[in-house]
Amino acid sequence: MSDALTAEVLRNALMVAAEEASIVVVRSAYSTFIVEGSDASAAILDSGGRLIAQSVATTLANSMSLSLAVPHIVDVYPLATMAPGDVFATNDAYQGGIHTNDIIVVRPVFVEGAVEFFTGTLIHVSDLGGMSAGGMAALATDIFLEGLQLPPVRIASQAGLDAAIERILRLNSRTPDKVIGDVRALIAGATTAARRVETLADELGPAALRQGVADYLAYTEARMRRALAGLTPGVYRAEYPIDDDGIHLDRPLAVRVTVTIDGDQAVLDFEGTDPQVPAAVNSSVSQALAGAVFAVRCFLDPTIPMNDGSLRPLSVRLPVGSLVNAQSPFPCGGRFVAVYAAMEAVLQAMSDAAPSHAIAPSGILQPFSIAARHAPFWIHLSYDYGGVGARAGRDGPDATGIHFGLGRNSVPQVEPVEVRSPLVVEAIEYIPDSGGPGRWRGGLGTRTTFRLLDDADITTRGDRLRFAPPGRDGGGGGRLGGFYRVPAAGDPERLASKNNNVRFRAGDAFVVETTGGGGLGPPHERPVDTVCRDVAEGRVSAAAAAKQYGVVLSGDGMADQAATEQRRQQMAGR
Amino acid sequence: MISRPYALAADVGGTFTDVVLSGPDGRLHVAKALSTPSDPTTGILTGIKLVLDGAGVDPGSVGRVVHATTIATNAILERKGAQVAFVTTRGFRSMLALGRYARVEEDRFDIFFEPPQPPVPLTSCFEVSERVTADGSVLVPLDEEGARQVGEHIAELGVDAVAICLLHSYANPEHERRLAAILRTALPAEVPIVASSEIFPELREYERSTTTLMSAYVGPLMTRYLGTLEQRLREIGITARVQVMESGGGVMSAELAGARAVATIESGPAAGVIASRMTGLALGRPDLISFDMGGTTAKACLIRGGQPDITREFHVGGKGSFGGRRAGTGVPIKVPAIDLAEVGAGGGSIAWIDEGGSLRVGPRSAGSEPGPACYGLGGSQPTVTDANLVLGYLDPAAFAGGHLRLDPARGEEAIDRELAWPLGVSRAEAAAAVHEIANAIMASAVHVVSVQRGIDPRGYALVAFGGAGPMHAARVAERFDITTIIVPAACGVGSAAGLLATDLSTDRVATRLVRHADADPAELAGIYRDLTASGARDLAIGLDDAALAVTRTADIRYLGQAHDLSVPVPEGELSKADLDELAERFYARYLAVYGSAPRDPVEFVSYRVRVTRRIEHQEFSALPPAQDGSPAGVRQAYFAESGGFIEVPVYTRDRRRALGPVAGPLVVQDAESTVVVPPGWSMTVDAADVITLERS
Repeated sequence: MSDALTAEVLRNALMVAAEEASIVVVRSAYSTFIVEGSDASAAILDSGGRLIAQSVATTLANSMSLSLAVPHIVDVYPLATMAPGDVFATNDAYQGGIHTNDIIVVRPVFVEGAVEFFTGTLIHVSDLGGMSAGGMAALATDIFLEGLQLPPVRIASQAGLDAAIERILRLNSRTPDKVIGDVRALIAGATTAARRVETLADELGPAALRQGVADYLAYTEARMRRALAGLTPGVYRAEYPIDDDGIHLDRPLAVRVTVTIDGDQAVLDFEGTDPQVPAAVNSSVSQALAGAVFAVRCFLDPTIPMNDGSLRPLSVRLPVGSLVNAQSPFPCGGRFVAVYAAMEAVLQAMSDAAPSHAIAPSGILQPFSIAARHAPFWIHLSYDYGGVGARAGRDGPDATGIHFGLGRNSVPQVEPVEVRSPLVVEAIEYIPDSGGPGRWRGGLGTRTTFRLLDDADITTRGDRLRFAPPGRDGGGGGRLGGFYRVPAAGDPERLASKNNNVRFRAGDAFVVETTGGGGLGPPHERPVDTVCRDVAEGRVSAAAAAKQYGVVLSGDGMADQAATEQRRQQMAGR
Repeated sequence: MISRPYALAADVGGTFTDVVLSGPDGRLHVAKALSTPSDPTTGILTGIKLVLDGAGVDPGSVGRVVHATTIATNAILERKGAQVAFVTTRGFRSMLALGRYARVEEDRFDIFFEPPQPPVPLTSCFEVSERVTADGSVLVPLDEEGARQVGEHIAELGVDAVAICLLHSYANPEHERRLAAILRTALPAEVPIVASSEIFPELREYERSTTTLMSAYVGPLMTRYLGTLEQRLREIGITARVQVMESGGGVMSAELAGARAVATIESGPAAGVIASRMTGLALGRPDLISFDMGGTTAKACLIRGGQPDITREFHVGGKGSFGGRRAGTGVPIKVPAIDLAEVGAGGGSIAWIDEGGSLRVGPRSAGSEPGPACYGLGGSQPTVTDANLVLGYLDPAAFAGGHLRLDPARGEEAIDRELAWPLGVSRAEAAAAVHEIANAIMASAVHVVSVQRGIDPRGYALVAFGGAGPMHAARVAERFDITTIIVPAACGVGSAAGLLATDLSTDRVATRLVRHADADPAELAGIYRDLTASGARDLAIGLDDAALAVTRTADIRYLGQAHDLSVPVPEGELSKADLDELAERFYARYLAVYGSAPRDPVEFVSYRVRVTRRIEHQEFSALPPAQDGSPAGVRQAYFAESGGFIEVPVYTRDRRRALGPVAGPLVVQDAESTVVVPPGWSMTVDAADVITLERS
């Protein structure tokens, strides 16, 4: 049997190995994110860290982190010094990591006595110190305030977990048992996948496995190049304005990109992006890289596998010391701001390159935490999503964000939150008119209202809460969201986008409004029936239907034909 | 029973409706009829008439009718159930529209990704002022006037059913009950009102809502359908009431199937697992992997110690390739279901070459129309079935019980045109590669239910059935060092045969979070008592009846973790020592699943009861042994170990019945399937026509 004929069998086996690792981690971890249904990441890498396969739920952000961390681990522990049973860990944001709360675990896979592959796992662990529980140090000015930094270490060997490192982790965590439980889960996952790859090497023979992997990456590269060659060559520029860094509220920042499509390759150059700042909005190199690559992939055949082969035709230039490639000790805890900025900027540049796939700017992720101020300690760590921008030919999905292609299933449900924390969630509702108007409407934002039953500290991180996502091609911008404190008696108070430990009293409400996505195309070209349906479902108000879409409704929810026609003509003529 | 000793089972599949009749002589009679999707009862009636005529049995002597139906699943997938209104707590009207979907695999990078349509449009979602907290206390009383107004709005919509899910109603169902009563006064009597606390009172409002909603959605349809079926059965003289297979492996009365329609969703596949279990237990093998490969999907299920694994959450229409259906895709339904891993590949899966020049199998399927190229029904794409025909595994003249004559030339032409020529390989090599890729996909389903759950499959026997299962089973088994394969008698109608081995069952659950250290044994025993009484009422059986069987389990987890594990709970009253024992069982189970189990504090989450009313089943009798054991013929079949095509004997079961083993390579030709026995395997047929393959 020719190997090329059944390459699919090998790919299947590699995917299954990564999948199995992620299942093991999810089932045995304690982290709040995992508890609330997020997935663990798991990947198979070669000895240089090049990505071969990842579990289906692994985001590109996490596989890029695993991939970039491996060479740094190998710098400290050369391959020849690694022994079977060794497991390595790090969270160093400047060496492939993400931020201090995300722990990377890799395990070498030995083939014929030498390290040929690594299996890696990664989750956001429950807590690893820093100025705010759960890794949400929104106002950190350097990485030391964000939590314990773990350089590449041999965290376990044949003899088990390294007792000294375990003690260090425990001492630096608000939740020592949970963090060790999480680490054990990560090790168990990586070990499971390593065993699978070793079995594969036994079954196929080392040479066939090596060749099979090389063929797989080459095959992926060929598909990626063919897809890139289908785009219109040219130079496309875009930028994303960041509201502020959370400390200097009057100082906007920008991430800028120039995308050059040149035959079967592309260059994504972030030259011109503002320098790193002493605030938690910088991105480590692995995360900005992932954001940029993800955005490009959105314009290419989605069925192309995600591995090193799909990275080869892309040259991503992230200036050292800029917002998208922070250096120590500039903090990276709020990296998603710069990552989203890179992602959104590339999405806009690529939308110019491929108008048939264009997408308007989106509302982004709005993370926040609500934490006990005194014992017994509890923390509710979560995020809400903004509306997605309208796409060429389709409305933007509501309250989903475009964050590495995640869905809404990671947003916690109300009942388990209330079981665990002294909170009453009073509402999770659509915000009418929050989606940018357009021929294709932007996705809606949501409003979530938490009533606090006990005093608590609230930390927030948001962006696009000052500069709304604009529309494209005649569409309108999305409505700005925000974080609010609504006292039991008194007026609502709008909080800044990024806060650290704002004191809330029992009885206060904390309101999270997410930003809507931008619209695409002139709103008065949106079909009248579609606008009427939006009104019936409460997505668009009757007033906005008339004002923004030129659809004048009569009492029964149907359009007043004459008035609508007149209004739309006015709008078209303007 | 004496006057009406015959039992009928009907399993409606995508292409064929299988009917099986068993009677006092222990013989099974089998009939296949084409399914009639627009009204499945037509196909069932055709099959029943065929089987009764064939056996010469009078309809009046049928005392039991068991049915596996895909009505509920299809209604959900095709969104053609009832029009339902949804009512929830004020502030959460958007719950279903917002949804909880995941983007998996290729969806991840798809800029045009569309979230799934909500199961109920926003315009049919309503909210009422009320609020119960996590401990069951009332924070905001029910606004009865507001509830009446909602009732009036719903009445104007003219819906077929109403689903209610209020926050924390699992902890205190009072508001849901009162709301249901108020809505009742506003709505016509024939509109069912289903409250979440009645259907499945568990924590997590989204899944509780979808489960309730789907009950309301499918219920009216199910009631009508079963009414029609019973009516048509009466017209031909069968007066026995229909029992419907439920996803957990038991059957329900027609009334209960209407009220708890979501429990029937995995009806057919569950019946297949029950058939595997029955066949395995008859051979003294309690540890089995049920492997069912049909035209478009394949399913695997683990049976440990005679018990199929049960899952408590199930995603209808979910997708995902490497772990069956993934959470966040499809509609989550919280009912106990036999835990199957399903992969979207089968005999009809299309083989193709992607733009990178790689050979792939599936996920597209030729289905039954146009079907594989060799069906000659207009299909031009090569499929797994075409590859199996090229490899000599299938007999063109004896496919699907002779319903269809295969055309080898068309299959060969499709393989050549689409695969062999573009890849520059021989027809046999291309076909063998398709067969092998299909085996790998099948293996991933077996992998999910065994290795991924920490189970070493080597001691298990693979029970292969479905049209394509016995053709691929040996190669799938080899991947796991599984050395025994069992192919049931009548394996092409395996699911229908399983229906006859079922008992009446229903499930109940209650949720109450209690730390192990604080738990009151008397309170927990009381919960179990209430659940048991409620289940027994539905099965119309007394609590002291000898035919009653009750299984009790508890879901337990570490404090702070989200994933719980179920452990068995002893019968009767509970003591403190019993609760300690439950914690010990949890630690042991955790250790088995995850490899380590710290002795950290645990909490009890949910309490489950499965109530079963046992039914007496017919024993299957032995058939006359074969005379000389010689093959029926020979044909060329492809085995890589033998260097390619070689001439192999073709047996039928009756030619080897009750004789000793015969060594492969060989094939066994069945009415509905072919058993492929590669080199290194031996084949035995026992007196009940069950085939066992052993690998030396």
